[in-house]
Amino acid sequence: MKYKDYYETLGVPRTATQDEIKQAYRKLARKYHPDVSKLADAEARFKEINEANEVLKDPEKRTAYDQMGSNWKAGQEFQPPPNWDAGFEFRSGQGSPFGAGGTFGAGADFDPSDFFESLFGRRGAGAGAGRRRASAQGEDHHAKVLIDVEDAYRGAERTISLRAPVEGPDGRIEIQERTLDVHIPKGIRPGQHLRLAGQGNAGIGGGKAGDLYLEIAFNPHSRFRVDGADVYVDLPLAPWEAALGATVDVPTPDGAVQLTVPKGSAAGRKLRLKGRGLPGKNPGDFYALLAIVVPKAETDAARTAYESLAKAFPNFQPRPNS
Amino acid sequence: MNERTISSAVRGSVVEEDVELTIVELCRACRTSEHEIELWVVEGVLQPRGASRESWRFGGDALARIRLATRLRRDLDVNTSGVALALDLLDRIAELESRLAR
Repeated sequence: MKYKDYYETLGVPRTATQDEIKQAYRKLARKYHPDVSKLADAEARFKEINEANEVLKDPEKRTAYDQMGSNWKAGQEFQPPPNWDAGFEFRSGQGSPFGAGGTFGAGADFDPSDFFESLFGRRGAGAGAGRRRASAQGEDHHAKVLIDVEDAYRGAERTISLRAPVEGPDGRIEIQERTLDVHIPKGIRPGQHLRLAGQGNAGIGGGKAGDLYLEIAFNPHSRFRVDGADVYVDLPLAPWEAALGATVDVPTPDGAVQLTVPKGSAAGRKLRLKGRGLPGKNPGDFYALLAIVVPKAETDAARTAYESLAKAFPNFQPRPNS
Repeated sequence: MNERTISSAVRGSVVEEDVELTIVELCRACRTSEHEIELWVVEGVLQPRGASRESWRFGGDALARIRLATRLRRDLDVNTSGVALALDLLDRIAELESRLAR
C-alpha cells in the first residue's frame, strides 16, 4: 500500500486552516468534477480530491492523519503503525468511522482507497444498514454500458457484471458480484437509460427488489459520429466528382448505400439520407459531410492536367475578397 | 445469431421514450428526497405534467437531469439556483460541442 499525501492532493501546506482547506477543495472539485470537466483524468483526480477532503475537513481525522508524521512521501510504501489511532473515536461502532447511516460529504459515490480504509475503516460495514427496516424495497442500481453505433442500428446483447451489497445469512452486508445478459433495443441513443424492473438490489425482509438503470454510452467510432439520433460521416470526393456530380458508395452503420452527389457540390455541403440515422419511432437522419481531396501533381501528366485546368478557368477567383 | 434459440437476455424499457415516473419512483431512482424534487420543480429544472404533487408525472429525461443536479449540489455544495444555472450552461456547452463534432 502506498502512502497518500492528502495535503499535496489539495495543494495546501500542512499548516493550512480549515477554511483554507475548504477553499482549496471547492476550487479543485469544480475543476475536476466529472460532470463538468473535460479532462481525461478528471474522474480519478476528483476521487483523490474527495478522499483528501474527507480526512482533512474533519478535525479528528486530520489530527489522526497528522499524527503519523510529516516525513512520509506520497507513493512511499506504507503500513499504519500499531495503535496509531489510540484515543480516537472513529474506530468505534461497527469498525467504521461513519457508523450506521453515517454519510460522507462525497455521498453515495465515495469510493475510498486501500490507504483510506486501512486508516479509517471500511465503509461497507455501515452502508445501507442505517436505514434498515423490517421490510424494505431494494435500492435502485445504476450502471453504464458501452455499445457500438452498429448495435444501436440492429439491437444487441451485452453481458454486464454488477456489484451490489447483499445481506448475508449472518445479517452482515457483503458485496456480491453477478452477471446479467441484457438486450439492448434497436434505436437506443447515447445518454438514454434502460430500466430493468426488479434487477436492482434485493429487497430486505421480503421487500420488492429495486430496479436496474443502465445508462447507454457509445464507443467512439473511427468513421461515424452520432449526435442525438443523427449520424454523420465524412465523405471525401475527387474534385471532378464534386464538380461534375457522381454516384458514390457511402458507408453507413447499416451497410454501404449509393449516394448521388449533385454536380457543383462544395466542400462542407451536407447530403442527407432521411431516416437512415438511428432507427426508432422518430428515426434520425444520416448525413454525409462532403470534403474535397486534391490529388498531388507528381507526374508530368498530372502537372499538365492541372495546367490545362488553370487555363480553362482564367477568371476563377478562389479568394474573391482579397 | 442463432434464430432458433430464444434469448434469455433481460429486456428493459427505454426510460427517455417509454417511461413516465412518479415522484416516488424518481426519488428512488435518483436516491433523493421528495423535498429535493420539489425544489427542482420550483427552480424550473423539472417540468412535470399534472397539477398536484401526487399527480405529477415526469418524463424519462428527468432521471439523468436529476442525477446530474443531485451530484452537482452534493459534490460542489452549490445551491439550487446555482445548479439550475450550471445545468443550462452545460446544455449549451453540449450543444456547441456536438455542433463542433459534426
